[in-house]
Amino acid sequence: MLQILTVCGAGLGSSFACQMSIDAVLKELGVEAKLDHTDISSVGGAKADIILSGKNFEKQFERYNLDCPTIFLDRLVDKNEIREKLTPVLKELGAL
Amino acid sequence: MEGLVLTEKNVKLQVSADSWEEAVRIGGQLLVEQGCAKPSYVEGIIRAVKELGPYIIISDGLAMPHTRPEEGAAAIGCSLITLKEPVLFEGDDCPVKVMICFSAVDSESHMDILKMIVEFVERGLIDDIAKAETYEELLEIIKTK
Repeated sequence: MLQILTVCGAGLGSSFACQMSIDAVLKELGVEAKLDHTDISSVGGAKADIILSGKNFEKQFERYNLDCPTIFLDRLVDKNEIREKLTPVLKELGAL
Repeated sequence: MEGLVLTEKNVKLQVSADSWEEAVRIGGQLLVEQGCAKPSYVEGIIRAVKELGPYIIISDGLAMPHTRPEEGAAAIGCSLITLKEPVLFEGDDCPVKVMICFSAVDSESHMDILKMIVEFVERGLIDDIAKAETYEELLEIIKTK
């Protein structure tokens, strides 16, 4: 199953809230995925098909060589922004 | 569970703060007073935001200050403050008017607090919450119709 990971500073608040909003968007789109959240320092070894994080972490992601699509959000719980940015990636991966 | 819901003890409305740090300390102090966090947890939030950027701003006007439990969280808890004058964070253009601090003991069990916060955003309540003058007004705004 498609694995989606959300990332924030502490790995339990902003990323978890973001996960809830993604979950709601995926339900609307009818896409099934396994969702999880973590902190920025653990992301290097994380396994995921898509990663979502806040814009403020964009620079810090550069040091990790992640081979999956990464989406940076202005607002982590904005369902419209999530839908807009996630839909093309889901299509690309054949999940939608 | 104590601290899990918004009460008169963990809500402070129309607070004056000169900076985001001061606002986080005021909201964080409510967690400390409820026995949910040590003062080190509050300072840990400020340090993490300085180091990692304003990851605690999750929607326009709303920040949810929190950090890792190891910094001194004792129990799950939350507090809500609104600011008389919004505060700015470095790295984000949008002023913050509402702060919901929370403490967590692991990465999952504070889910109800996050659900409440996400629900406030989805119902578009943040601006109204920011304007509330009394606890009763706040309750009226957040109550589910």
